[in-house]
Amino acid sequence: MAEEYLRRDPATARRSSLSMRQYKAILRKDIVMELRTKEMVTSMGIYSLLTMVVYQIALSQSGSAFDPRDIAAGLLWLAFIFTSMLGLNRSLVHEKDQGCLEALLLSPIDRPIIFFAKATGNLVFLLIVETLTIPVFAFMFLQDGGYGGEWWMIPLVLLGGSIGVAGVGTLLATMSVNTTGKDFVLAVLMVPLMYPLLLMAVLATSAAILGGDGSVAQFWTGMAAVAGYDAVMLMAAFALYEFVVGA
Amino acid sequence: MKQLKIAIVLVLIGGLLTTTAFFMAFYTAEVQSFGEVAFERPIETVFPSRGVSPEGLNLYGRPWFSQKIFYFHVPVAEASFLILLLSAIFAVRFLMTRRRDYDTKSRIAMETSLIFVVLTMITGVLWTKASWGVWWEWEPRLTTYFIMMLMMIAYFVLRNSIEDEERRAVYAAVFAILAAINAPISFMITRLIPSSHPVVFQSGMASSNLLPFIVGQVGMLMVGYAIYTMRMSEERLSERLAEAKEALED
Repeated sequence: MAEEYLRRDPATARRSSLSMRQYKAILRKDIVMELRTKEMVTSMGIYSLLTMVVYQIALSQSGSAFDPRDIAAGLLWLAFIFTSMLGLNRSLVHEKDQGCLEALLLSPIDRPIIFFAKATGNLVFLLIVETLTIPVFAFMFLQDGGYGGEWWMIPLVLLGGSIGVAGVGTLLATMSVNTTGKDFVLAVLMVPLMYPLLLMAVLATSAAILGGDGSVAQFWTGMAAVAGYDAVMLMAAFALYEFVVGA
Repeated sequence: MKQLKIAIVLVLIGGLLTTTAFFMAFYTAEVQSFGEVAFERPIETVFPSRGVSPEGLNLYGRPWFSQKIFYFHVPVAEASFLILLLSAIFAVRFLMTRRRDYDTKSRIAMETSLIFVVLTMITGVLWTKASWGVWWEWEPRLTTYFIMMLMMIAYFVLRNSIEDEERRAVYAAVFAILAAINAPISFMITRLIPSSHPVVFQSGMASSNLLPFIVGQVGMLMVGYAIYTMRMSEERLSERLAEAKEALED
C-alpha cells in the first residue's frame, strides 16, 4: 500500500483532490443559496402541485371505469420534465444575473468541474421536488389500486431519469440563458433531446406501478436504456460544456 | 462563380437522373412483395389490399402502387441523413478551428438537410396512408425521424434567439452535434427493434429495382450538393455585399 502511494505522482494526487474541493465548493454554494432563499424548491414544488390540479381537470371527464394507474407514469414524468425546466432555467438565470457565472469562469477551475457541480446541484433539487411530488400524486390519483412492483423500483428509475434530465438540462440551460427567449428556447431544445429518456423512464415507471407478469423484465429494459442514455449524453455534455460556457 | 456553374450543372443532371428514376420506377421496376404488416384495428386503404387472412386478422399485403414511392422517398431520406452528418462534421470543425466559414457551412448544410427531411416526411406520410391505412403511426422509425426533425427546427430557433455572433455560432455547433446523434440512431433503429417500417435491403431486392434506386439516389445526392453549393455562394455574395456596404459607410 505504502509503495503504491509513493509511486503516485504527487502533483496528480494534489490536483485530483483540488478538483474535488472545487466541485464541493460550487455545490455547497448552490445548496447554501437555496437554503437561504428556498426559491427553487418552493417554486418547483408549487409548480408541480399546480400540474396536479391541471391533471385533475384533464381526468375529470374520464369516468369511474378509467384507471389512472395506466397513465400514472406518464403523468408523473410530464410533471417532472416541466418542473425541471422551470428549475434549470432559474438555476442558471441566477448565475448569470448576479454575475456569478463570469466569476466562476474567471477562477482557475476546470470547466467540466463547473458542469458537474451545477448538474449535481440541479439533480439534488430535482430529486427533492420529485420526492415531495410522488406522495401527493399517489394520494390524489392512485388511492385505490396500489403499487405493483418492489419498493426500490421507483427511487431507482427516478434517480436514473433525473441524472439525465439534470445533466443534459444543465448544458442546455447554460445555452438558453444567453438567448433572448430564455425558457422558451430551453423547452424547444430540451423536449426533443429528452424524448428517448422520457420514453424509457415512463416504461420503467409504468412497469413498477402496474406490476404483474413480465413487469420486472420490462422495468430492467427501461432502466438499461435510461442508463445508456445517461452515459452517452453525460459524456457528450461533458465534452461540449467547455465550448458552451466559454462562449 | 465557378462553383455556381458546377451547381447549376449538377442540379440539371440530378434533376434528369431523379426524373429517369421516376419513370424507371413505373416502366422497368417490378413489383416486389415485402411481406405483410399486422395491425390491431381494421384499416382502410386507398388501394385495393391483397392477402386479407381468413381469420380476419387485418393482415394487409402492401399495395403494389405505393411501392413506387420507394424510388423517391428512400433517396431523399438517405440524402437527409448524409447532409445532417455533414453539418455535424462542419460543426466539429468549427469548434476545433473557430473559423466563421465552418459555421456558415454547418448552417447551410442543416438548412439543406431540413428541406430533405420535410420531403421525406411528406412522401412518408403519403406512403403510410396508402400502405398502412393510417396517416401516422408512433413506430420507432417514424418517431425517431420526427424527433430529428424537431431538433433541426430547434437548431434554427436557437440561432434566431442569440444576438452575439460568436456565441450563436458556438451554441449552434454544439446543438448540431447533439441533433446529429439522432441520424445514425434513426437509420439503424429499424434494423435493431421490431418495427413496421420496411427494411428493403434486408428483405432482398431485384436488380430491376436496384437500378432505378441507384439512379435516383445519385441524382438526389447531386441535387442536395447543388442546393448546398448554391446557398453557399449566395451566402458568400451577401457577406461581400454587407462588407461593401460597411466600407461605403466608412
